[in-house]
Amino acid sequence: MENSMDKRLSQLLESYGADRGRWPEADRKLFLESGSATAAEARALDWLLAMASAPAVPNGALARLMDRLGDEPGARIIPFRPATRRPAGYFRYAAALPLAASLALGIYLGAQGSLDFILPAPLTEGVAAIDDAPDDLGGVGEADAYAAESLT
Amino acid sequence: MTSDSSVFREMTDGGLLQAAAARDAAAFAEIVSRYYQPVYRLAWRMTAGGSDCEDIAQEAFVKLWQNPAQLREAGALKGWLMRVASNAAIDRGRKPKHRDIDTAPEISDPEASPAAPLDRAQAARLIDRRISKLPERQRLALSLVYFEGLSNIDAAEVMGTSVEAVESLLARARGSLKDSLSGEWRALLAGVTETGR
Repeated sequence: MENSMDKRLSQLLESYGADRGRWPEADRKLFLESGSATAAEARALDWLLAMASAPAVPNGALARLMDRLGDEPGARIIPFRPATRRPAGYFRYAAALPLAASLALGIYLGAQGSLDFILPAPLTEGVAAIDDAPDDLGGVGEADAYAAESLT
Repeated sequence: MTSDSSVFREMTDGGLLQAAAARDAAAFAEIVSRYYQPVYRLAWRMTAGGSDCEDIAQEAFVKLWQNPAQLREAGALKGWLMRVASNAAIDRGRKPKHRDIDTAPEISDPEASPAAPLDRAQAARLIDRRISKLPERQRLALSLVYFEGLSNIDAAEVMGTSVEAVESLLARARGSLKDSLSGEWRALLAGVTETGR
């Protein structure tokens, strides 16, 4: 405990100097008058810092500033207003209704087959008819013909 | 830009800011008269007595005049002005140098007679010069807490850092000053005791 108190006291002296008026209030209450060498050194530095110059505001500085402000155009600030949220109404899902209805109708008509006549005949139907005869599904007959052609 | 200036003397910072937001120059003049001095002193300290410290102080007030509504809490007015001024000073400090304490006449060489007491003006110049040599963050912490009397919490707010960081900066600033003044320590203290401190 004593060590931590010493450490804090030394921190205070190093940071704020020996003048207790500058210490954080809690620390001021915690530490009573200290006569250590560190405190004396800190006090000496406080004295020296008190001797630093205190610059005075030059004559007419405030008037010059006010003159400058007179030349400054006041910024026109447009207050930002967040967009108000409209309460969700019954028509919120209105766009989805026709889509859902058309989907249901499509499924129904497709299942009924009532509109099949408007569908194009599949191309493969004709191709399949021309191609292999039903009795030569393996293409063996064609192979013979091909071999004969190759030999001649 | 209207109104009678005496009306504003009793007003709080919040009221003055509101009036300034309505482009009332007299209200703004009251803000200037309240805070110009500390802002100027901070600029002076941060520029090491540079000739542009008046410009820096003006810059802070012009920014406020352009948009007083940017300040959300009227209680933070002084701190806000200090922050704008210190940022401006730091920005300018990173550009090529100006006339400052460095070009002020040198004090008589204390090394020649280390124990000879320095007069008040000599001591002040010497201390100003040593402060001006501190790194800018240390100088800012020292200026805010020591010279402008801000609390560690307010100084941390102005500097945008933690209270612990401010304490550390202060400790390093004081330590550096103690070291840099060690050569003139006796002469300075002799001067202090002679002037009755």
